[in-house]
Amino acid sequence: MNAIPCLTIEDVANLDGILSNFLNKAEAELTVVIDRGGNVISQFGDMTVMDVTIIAALAAGSFAATKELARRIGEVEFNALYHQGNGNHIFMNSVDDDTIMITVFGRRTTVGLVRFYSASTAQSVAALLKSLSNTGHGFSFDASDITATPIFAGQ
Amino acid sequence: MSIINYASREIQFKIVYYGPALCGKTTNLAYIHQRINPENRGDLVSLATAADRTLFFDFLPLNAVVIKGFVTKFQLYTVPGQVIYNATRQLVLRSVDGVIFVADSQWEKMEENVESFKNLEDNLAKQNISIDEIPYVLQYNKRDLENTAPVNYLEYVLNNRKRRVQSFEVVSSSGQNVFASLNAVSQILLHKFSKQSDVPKTAPAPVAIPVEPPVAQKQSAAV
Repeated sequence: MNAIPCLTIEDVANLDGILSNFLNKAEAELTVVIDRGGNVISQFGDMTVMDVTIIAALAAGSFAATKELARRIGEVEFNALYHQGNGNHIFMNSVDDDTIMITVFGRRTTVGLVRFYSASTAQSVAALLKSLSNTGHGFSFDASDITATPIFAGQ
Repeated sequence: MSIINYASREIQFKIVYYGPALCGKTTNLAYIHQRINPENRGDLVSLATAADRTLFFDFLPLNAVVIKGFVTKFQLYTVPGQVIYNATRQLVLRSVDGVIFVADSQWEKMEENVESFKNLEDNLAKQNISIDEIPYVLQYNKRDLENTAPVNYLEYVLNNRKRRVQSFEVVSSSGQNVFASLNAVSQILLHKFSKQSDVPKTAPAPVAIPVEPPVAQKQSAAV
């Protein structure tokens, strides 16, 4: 049996608290914590404007793709990436070896403010995720819990 | 492997379509995207060249309720098949939970199939994942063409291992067995994480409705 690492409701509340505090201070719209494989770990903010799943997949790809660029100038990887648009922007920074934080923001704030607060937020998120792995609680389920009925309806 | 979020009651799994160049990986995703209820899927994202060759990856998110009380998100990726993009394939394989290996059934593609499968093994090994442990199934694609190798030969070349996996005769352009292979790998990886971790000995029950042409779904090997 392989247990899947899990965030308890308490863990999620703590993570949401950190991310909410960050959004308020940085005046950003949305922040998403993802693993480097593109899976969403947690998200906070206005999620109505975009598909967070796709943002996560593309951001993980973008972060990974620039790693080789970083190596060419003697870095292991870039700690942060910034994509500037006309009105909306994305800032991504490394949380730990397995995790990235994405922040989407608009005209209300500046990249400097987002960058400043994201550094301490990343540290808090990293500490929380580290404590999670130390507690070692995982999730597994009975085989009977897996549905045998069709799920998706065709068009 | 992703983290389960108890607050949103979500589990995510990453399934990667792997195989040689032009074997039909993107066609698989395009067919699934076309036939699945839009409420249960997101947009199909393709990072392709001007000539529609996959440059980075294709990505299709699917939602389902397959474990009691949890929304399960299947994230389908393809890798670029061209030999020169091996670094990209390694990136896409990161945190993979299941693999569908798409082989091109044409005789002249056998060498590329074998090279690609070996490349999959090597790239998984770089993540400390053994091909013998990860859930995967084989697709023998393009069965509608005339110059295809017999299934027995493909089995001998690609499925001649200690652990034989399920394999499917597929025509990804028409959708034949596209859903069957996706269902199979989904069920295998779900059972991997269940308390009774043995993979079901019988053919797995469908996770997604195969919305396919009314052709017999040939399944040439069982687990």
